[in-house]
Amino acid sequence: MRYLTYVDKDTFLHKLDPRTKFVFLIVMAVLTSVVKTAWALAFLLVFFLILWISAGVMKEMAFLAKQLKAIMIFLLILWFILGMFQEPQVEGPVFLRTEVLGIKICIDWYDIYKGFASALRLYLMVSSFFTVLISTNFSEIILGLSKWHFPYSLSYGIGLVFQVIPIVISELNTIMEAESSRGLEIEQCKWTTKIKNYLIFAVPLFFRVLNKGHAISLGMHYYKLNFNVKRTSYKTIKPTVRDLIFALVTLVAVAGTIVLHVLFYIPLI
Amino acid sequence: MSFDVKHITYRYTPKGKTVLDDVTFTIGEGQITAVVGPSGSGKTTLVNVLSGVIPALEQNGVLEGELDFGSDALVSVVSQTPEDQLFGYGVEDAIAFGVENMGISSEEISDRIEYVLDLLNLQYLRKRSVAALSGGQRQAVCIASVLAMKPDILIMDEPVSSLDPNGKNMVRGILNQLKADGTTVLIVDNNLDWSAGIVDKVMGLDNGKIVFDGLRDDFFRDFPLQETLGVTIPQEVEIYRALSSLTDDIGMFYNMRGAERELDKIFEKRTEELTDNSETSDDPYITVHQLNKFFEDGYHALKDINAAFPKGKVVAIMGQNGSGKTTLVKHLNGIYKPTTGDVRFMGESILKKTVAQISRNIILVFQHPEHMLFEQTVRAEISFCAKMHGLEFSPEKVDEVLKKYDLYDDAETFPVNLSMGKKHLLTILSVLFSSSDVIILDEPTLGMDLLIKNQLEDIIRGLRDAGKTVIIISHEIPLVFRNADEAIILNKSEKIYYGTIKDLALRDDIFEFINISLPPVVQLSKRYNFDKVCFNVEEFKEEAQKLLGKRGEEE
Repeated sequence: MRYLTYVDKDTFLHKLDPRTKFVFLIVMAVLTSVVKTAWALAFLLVFFLILWISAGVMKEMAFLAKQLKAIMIFLLILWFILGMFQEPQVEGPVFLRTEVLGIKICIDWYDIYKGFASALRLYLMVSSFFTVLISTNFSEIILGLSKWHFPYSLSYGIGLVFQVIPIVISELNTIMEAESSRGLEIEQCKWTTKIKNYLIFAVPLFFRVLNKGHAISLGMHYYKLNFNVKRTSYKTIKPTVRDLIFALVTLVAVAGTIVLHVLFYIPLI
Repeated sequence: MSFDVKHITYRYTPKGKTVLDDVTFTIGEGQITAVVGPSGSGKTTLVNVLSGVIPALEQNGVLEGELDFGSDALVSVVSQTPEDQLFGYGVEDAIAFGVENMGISSEEISDRIEYVLDLLNLQYLRKRSVAALSGGQRQAVCIASVLAMKPDILIMDEPVSSLDPNGKNMVRGILNQLKADGTTVLIVDNNLDWSAGIVDKVMGLDNGKIVFDGLRDDFFRDFPLQETLGVTIPQEVEIYRALSSLTDDIGMFYNMRGAERELDKIFEKRTEELTDNSETSDDPYITVHQLNKFFEDGYHALKDINAAFPKGKVVAIMGQNGSGKTTLVKHLNGIYKPTTGDVRFMGESILKKTVAQISRNIILVFQHPEHMLFEQTVRAEISFCAKMHGLEFSPEKVDEVLKKYDLYDDAETFPVNLSMGKKHLLTILSVLFSSSDVIILDEPTLGMDLLIKNQLEDIIRGLRDAGKTVIIISHEIPLVFRNADEAIILNKSEKIYYGTIKDLALRDDIFEFINISLPPVVQLSKRYNFDKVCFNVEEFKEEAQKLLGKRGEEE
């Protein structure tokens, strides 16, 4: 797994104008911030599942779910424990009502619902970002932002970050392998030792990153990159029918999500 | 037209050491010039001055002298790590990056991209992503991206240092095309073994001063200078050097064609076929059993590998990039676990041990030393493995090793500040203080000049004499043949040869199959009526002397 970097495929999602995907990202960020109803979020998840299957990125999104598993379980447990000490806020089945050492405990469906809705929201928020990231390479990101009249230095800087992050992660992995090959125990050790080891790895990683940064700045000089000079562009982008269809489908999904949110609205207290 | 470098002197700080000292030379238009010199001779600083990095990006130094290149001359550089110089996801994006910065029209950008793709025969790569390219292809795309800017001078800084034989051939082919096209090229590389047939001129730097500026053939005739500068020359030139002390009947040669032409004059061709009965040792430290490795993406990286690594031997693993060499050795020290199969040390499976536990017996030194250096001083770094393995070591022993390998003066230096070759040497020396019986060296010559390579060969021989097993992955085939006892050859994830190096020397079919050339000493000693196949120039000289002696007696 290449740490959720761009996945090179030839699907409709990959072929979209990057600006369409940026708009999609903004809309989804707002939508998942506003919508808190489990049914609406479940509907949105179905939309995303169809999107991921058709873009051939299910494996990557399953990997993302695996990475977020711990924090999603934490949210489920957190809401469950907080809810245990409250009387039911919304009508519905109560599974257990008891008293321990004078403390009233009530386990009802709403305690589970809140945790489920929160975990789903978190996953959809993060995955909408990664849906765009794994289907848009850094050259397209730079091109898309430039066409939106972002200063080239800013567009280039953002694109460079997405180019460099996988390199840094790969360097860290190699450093860990190299040091363990020389006898540094990183597998069977206490967590305190693990933390200490990461500090040890930070030294060579720091110098590797410095070297990379230096090499990149030399490269920029060799290519006469000057942010004060107007650049021209080899490739051009413009929205097509594909973008229009995608926008319409997204619109329908957003509308459906909002309708379900209104119909089944239950406040998260 | 020519490009004149006039009296360039440079210091990184006003009171610092003079790194370039009154450097004056001329770069001939349309010529290919090689700049050579040992580590620290000022080659990189010279590249930075010529390309304008000094003073544009490094402004604290003191630069004197003048570059008489014309007012709007464009000098561009292809670095040794193309991945740091390719700004673009796809090949087209990467090639376009430089020309887009020049602010020219989209049509002209398109024309220039087509031109360089045609010139370098790279049309087949244009729709690929940069990440999916091999090392040689990346270097080729990097050259294309710079050429698209139409530079007046193209500087190539160690362009093949990390490439396999196929990659080297690709870059060599491109240089031939550039030569035919009249491009002015400066190759900064202390290895002339790959570029000998292409360069017109050689410029030697030592301690910041020019010590040689002349034609290639004149440089190849100046043996003491080659040694002083630590230049890796083609083995053919070494053979010429050895034979020219025995006879005056041969002319200068620097490649196989020339060698055959000249040696045909003095030696008779072999009439009887050579055979070899040498057998592999049957006392192994490590055995590999039916090893298969599938990566997460389904790629079958190793297919049914069986092998043994005997005690007290040097075993070479050869093959093109992507053949599975590094994947195999990463199984030997536990970094990778096999999908199926087993790896055993002294008969016991290592699969349930951690990498650190395995390192007490089997240690892997990585390709890039910077992944391994993190101590504050060279002295502390050299004893790192001993500390990790809980072994006693004496400061006297540390000093002895540092002195022997010319690192004593750098003992209190921060290791990262050493030259690339010395950094690599340091990581290899640190295993001398470990408890490991098997030492794996992955591309150990990276960044080393000839002087450090000689020290490396000394270390390898010392480890073998101490009864340790050395496993070496290297694209430097002459070095492999000089030092290895046995060899494993991998091709497309499969083992296609396992046996002695003596037997391998007779297997032209295998080398043809994997597209790697046998060392010239091996090829030539097989071609002529020598008593045995030679693996180094000293042996070759002895055998040649015998034949020339016989011929003298007959005459």
